[in-house]
Amino acid sequence: MNDHISMTAPSIVLVEDDAPLRNLTARALREHGYNVRAVATGAELWVLLENEPADLIVLDIMLPGTNGIDLLRRLRQTRDTPVIFISARGGEGDRVVGLELGADDYLSKPFGTRELIARIGAVLRRHGAPVNGDPQPSGNQLQFQGWRLSTARRELRSPSGAIVDLTGAEFDLLSVFLGQPQRVIGRERLIELSRTRLADSSDRSVDVLVSRLRRKLSTTGGAAPIKTVRGVGYMFAAEVTRH
Amino acid sequence: MKLLRHVGLGGRLLGILAIVVIVDFLVNTALFERTSDFALRAEDAERMAEHLVIAHRVIEAAPSEERNAAAQQLSTDRFAITWSRARLNAVDAIELATLRGQILEFEPELEKSHLHMKLMPLSNGGNIAGSVTLQDGSVVNFRTFGRVSWTLNMGRLLAMALPSLVLLILAWVLFRAALKPLRTLVRATSEVGAGSPRPVEETGQAEIRHLIRAFNAMQERIHQLLGSGSQTLLAIGHDLRTPLARLQLRIDDAGIEPELRAELDQDIAEMRDLLQSLQTFVESGDEGPPPERIDIAATALTQVDNARDTGALITYRGPRHLEIMVRPVSIRRALSNLVENALAYAGNARIELREEGGVVEIVVDDDGPGIPEDRLVEVLRPFIRLDNARARNTAGMGLGLPIVDRVVRAEGGTLHLANKPRGGLRVTIRLPHALT
Repeated sequence: MNDHISMTAPSIVLVEDDAPLRNLTARALREHGYNVRAVATGAELWVLLENEPADLIVLDIMLPGTNGIDLLRRLRQTRDTPVIFISARGGEGDRVVGLELGADDYLSKPFGTRELIARIGAVLRRHGAPVNGDPQPSGNQLQFQGWRLSTARRELRSPSGAIVDLTGAEFDLLSVFLGQPQRVIGRERLIELSRTRLADSSDRSVDVLVSRLRRKLSTTGGAAPIKTVRGVGYMFAAEVTRH
Repeated sequence: MKLLRHVGLGGRLLGILAIVVIVDFLVNTALFERTSDFALRAEDAERMAEHLVIAHRVIEAAPSEERNAAAQQLSTDRFAITWSRARLNAVDAIELATLRGQILEFEPELEKSHLHMKLMPLSNGGNIAGSVTLQDGSVVNFRTFGRVSWTLNMGRLLAMALPSLVLLILAWVLFRAALKPLRTLVRATSEVGAGSPRPVEETGQAEIRHLIRAFNAMQERIHQLLGSGSQTLLAIGHDLRTPLARLQLRIDDAGIEPELRAELDQDIAEMRDLLQSLQTFVESGDEGPPPERIDIAATALTQVDNARDTGALITYRGPRHLEIMVRPVSIRRALSNLVENALAYAGNARIELREEGGVVEIVVDDDGPGIPEDRLVEVLRPFIRLDNARARNTAGMGLGLPIVDRVVRAEGGTLHLANKPRGGLRVTIRLPHALT
């Protein structure tokens, strides 16, 4: 089955009530090699999924009848098909609700073809064959020394329960550390990681990033649990639990 | 009381007037009684009686052609005496019965001479006057001047002013009580449009209760109107996003030159930013999610580091951690608007964070041209843009600072804009509810 999927084009279901936009989006996706089935309502979505499962669903939040959020809630009871939310509101509220319900990404209208294709590619890669053999972690709450990181909300809370904002690069770095606690992580790996986030990614910029993260994770009780391993890289020196 | 509540404002005022008239009548009667009871101190009365008896005897003894001269000679500057062939009738004078009795006690012989004592009207000097009749029927008139009558008159004035004063105070208390619901209404009127409608309790007289009911209904309509205005703005924003998305996809699909495509992309991006800021503005006026504990220092640092990573000249000074109760999304938005403004207009920014007595102060400084003094208030109003060329370079609808203002006020804080003496703008946000 896996072979079959990897050999053929990934199958995408698009749920969008605006007909012209539905056709334009479907055409753009087909041109980029995806196998697209497009519908206008949630009811049609269930019929489609009954006939043949999809590799990914692109779901508009504002739909006549059952809205996208309710559809996602129902979908998650039986399937973990990746979902990308499309919203005409672009509000923070929609984004958080969507991601908490288990949407894999969120895109607000208007979006460009390139952006849509990039997001779809990223989500499919995350759900496809795991990179480096790391199993996709289950549970999206990571804890260490009283700190809590919610990967769905991309939110870090201090031991006192306060939200601590992180830049995108800091969040990614912390996620890598928490994914491999008490193991030395090579500098090259971190440079590779920060390349997508930082314009100038070098040894120095990784060091800057680590020092920023240390500053945010410091408490009156002590320093952040990120240790420098001379000549190699860094190590996250605290126990991490997953919920 | 139940019955009283149904008496209208007119009935009330009528009642108040009736009370005033009755009290006035009672007090005036009492005053009149008191005036006729008026007595002088014993020695003053004795002196007056003596003076009268002497004048009476001397003029009686004098031949009629000399009586005028005699009367003149008997006059002092405090006690004037005249002689006339017949009684002079003083109009509006008040009989002073007690004083007459006092004088007759000292000089009973004056009884036979038909002593009259009276108080002259104030318009006529307000003195004590009177007369005695001689045997031939002619009359000796006298009149006092000075201290004696002065004390009497001051007493009279006071006595007359007192009920008026009492009446004024009484009327004031009654009117205040009657108009209390109106004052409540005035206060409520000044708050219409700010926040959700707060109905005024229907109390007071029938007219006022009707007024309050009408006002409450009006308040509700205004609230709905404001709300539907915001809802319309939001709906237009949402509805525009779908055709905009179509446009973007059509451009992506069309075979057009890269340069033109880049320009079109730019235009669509600008429209999206406009819609986004419109939505943020409308939402920043809502109650929104509840406040949360947030490390505001980390928030500021994140903004600074994000901007710095794109090459901006921006610095942070302040503690590593500072916790506060605010709505995280709004406060992030407010900070990023201030940073964006500073970087767009000045090309640099300095954020300073400090806490004192539970109040968090966030200062965003820049070295730009600042804002003309006379427009510092105006820039906080929505859809206002400083209409010079540089303002056109930045996307938005002139909602950046109004959003900050709304967000800060929703948190119970204050926003202050000032031009620094050496140039550049200083924006100061003060937020309560620091957690230390």
